[in-house]
Parts: sequence; structure tokens; C-alpha cells
Amino acid sequence: MERNEIFEVVQQALVDAIGVDEDEVVGKATLLGDLGAESLDLLDVLFRIERKLGFKVTINDITLMITGGIPDEEFGTEEGYISDVGLTQLKKSLPQIDVDSLRGKFEAERVLTLFTVDNLVSLVETRKGEMASVNN
Amino acid sequence: MDLTDKVMLVTGGSRGIGRAISLAAASRGAKVVINYNHNAAQAEEVCELVQAQGGTASIYQADVSNMQQVKGMIAFILDTYGKLDIVVNNAGIAYDRLVFQMEPEDWQKVMNVNFGGVFNCSKAALEPMMLQRSGVIVNVSSAMSEGGWVGQSNYACSKAAINAFTRTAAVELARFNIRVCAVLPGFSETEMVEGLLKEEKRYLPQIPQKRFGKPEEVAQAVLFLASDAASHITGSTLAVDGGALCTVGIGRPL
Repeated sequence: MERNEIFEVVQQALVDAIGVDEDEVVGKATLLGDLGAESLDLLDVLFRIERKLGFKVTINDITLMITGGIPDEEFGTEEGYISDVGLTQLKKSLPQIDVDSLRGKFEAERVLTLFTVDNLVSLVETRKGEMASVNN
Repeated sequence: MDLTDKVMLVTGGSRGIGRAISLAAASRGAKVVINYNHNAAQAEEVCELVQAQGGTASIYQADVSNMQQVKGMIAFILDTYGKLDIVVNNAGIAYDRLVFQMEPEDWQKVMNVNFGGVFNCSKAALEPMMLQRSGVIVNVSSAMSEGGWVGQSNYACSKAAINAFTRTAAVELARFNIRVCAVLPGFSETEMVEGLLKEEKRYLPQIPQKRFGKPEEVAQAVLFLASDAASHITGSTLAVDGGALCTVGIGRPL
């Protein structure tokens, strides 16, 4: 399955779950900000993707992708901003981010708001790849 | 109220209201999984009755207050029947004490079974229901969730918790095409209220219909809410109490 086919599945799921128009669902749109998704919306989107593609993508998967498994205490500074360790991880997992603009200003607990449609498509691609290697 | 081919779990299905629900559902075509905790023989009997009618049923032992056991039960259902359409959370216990004589453990254990069971079974059934984008959860609450009855503060709390959970879960799950409702029986002729039934002269005057309910009557309300006839009903609490909740107490219960 090509990336653009996965994009279409993700796009349809977002349209059906959140109720946004298709043309709003562009690669760089953030799910929580630009598309206005809430926690229930996110859950709905993921279940629709699972139903369509036959494998699970969970909220945990999203968190893991963003934080790379780095524990909260290391991901955030004492003041609650994303730490340098966290920023280095973000550079890898969310390539669209300009990490320097976040340094010392962006709260760690808001990190999910940076997640874009492209990020979700990448995650689904990765999960699909993992499923394929499990089944082989 | 056709339930043909629907797979239904009835917790506490071996006796009383649960038994009536299991039998009635099976007679309308549902495949029924009769959960029990201690009463294996009675659960088997209900199962055999269903099968004798030409229906499909299984029994499964699980303590609904134990999440691990509940997960095992749901896994068994999915394995055996391939899907789960309806969960009837009926299992419940009572442990009547005046507040003055009640200890913390006395309300905790009632809460753990009555509300904990609702939570555990609902939660465990959620994933398959959300994936198939359909499902119904019917919780057997009680008229005591809304009216005070001497000696039942723990029971009343657990049932009120069920009502609140019903409403919140209904709101969250509606978009997944999962409905969550509750029935509130008054006094039905079951083992749980055996003591009361013996003193019926005291209680009948307080029920407008001047009689106790039959488990089958409660079952009918449950089946209605579980069926497609109730497709636009979610988050509702439905009293099946002969009008008892409408009265402002006459005389004294105890």
C-alpha cells in the first residue's frame, strides 16, 4: 500500500470522525489545533483506521512516536517546557517542527498539539510495516 | 423486539431477573451467554432450558468485580460466537445494614460488584463494540438509586453510580453507535428480596399497582432497550416499578 493510499484512508477517517471538510485535511494540518479534534475524536479516527486497514493504531502508539519512550521527567524541564532531550527526540519523530522556536517556551504536556496529519500517516505506515513483518 | 442472531451476555444470569432476561432473549432469537459466579447448577439449568427451546446458550463463571476474569469472559464470547452485540449488566448483591451499623467494607464490596461489575463488563466489551461500530449495554439498576430505602444506603449508592455511568458512557459512545441504558426495577419477586416478599402486607400499600413485579416484566423492559425498537434511546433510566418511584412515602418500610 502506497503512502498516498494510506493518506486517503486517514483523510476519510478524519472527515468522518471530526466532521471537517476534505480540503481542510492537508498534510501539515495539526489534528488538535487546525482540525479541532478532541480526545473522543482521536479515538474515533483510530478505530475507523483500524476497521479499514485491519490493524491497530492506538493513542499509545502516537504518544510513543512523539516521545520515543522518553519518561516524562526527562522529556520536560522543571518548569514544564520541553527539555533539550525532548527537543532532540521531536526533531526525529515530528520532522516538520522547528525545534529552536519551541525551546524554553513550549509546554511538554501540550506536545500532542504538534501532531499533524502527515505525522499520523507516517505512524500508520510504520504500523503497517510492523504488521507485515510480523505476518511474514 | 427481534433479537435474532444477536450475541448477548447476561451477568448474574442464573437466577432472578438475569434468568428471566436470558430466557426471554433466547426466545427472541438471541444467543445468550449466561454468566454466574457461584450458582453453576442454576446457570446450567437456564442454559438447558434455552437449548430445549431450540435456542443457543453458554454458561461462563466469572466474578464481575474481577477485571481479569471479566476480560477472560469477553475473550471466550468473541472466540465462541465471533462477536458481542449486547451486554446486560445484571449481576448484583445487597448487604443491608443501617448506616449506623455499616462499616466501610460493607459498602465497598457492594460497590465493587454492583458498579464495579458494570464498569468492568462495559469496559471489556467496548473495544469489540467500538470496532464493529455497534452495540448496546443495558444496566440493571434499581428504583433504590433514586429513592431512599432504610438499610440500603450501600446498595442505593452502587445503583446511583450505575445511573451516572450510564449517562456519561452514553454520551461518549453514541458516536460509535453504542447505546447505554438502564432499567430501574422496584420490587421484583426474586431471591434477593425474599425477606420482603414474606412481609408483603407492609410494602404493597406503597406500590400504586399494589403488587410486586415479575422478573419477566423487568426482562421485557431490558429487551426493549436492547432491541432496535429503542434505536433513538440512549442514556435513559427506565423505572419498572409499578409506580413506586412516583409516590411520596406512605407509612414506614421498617
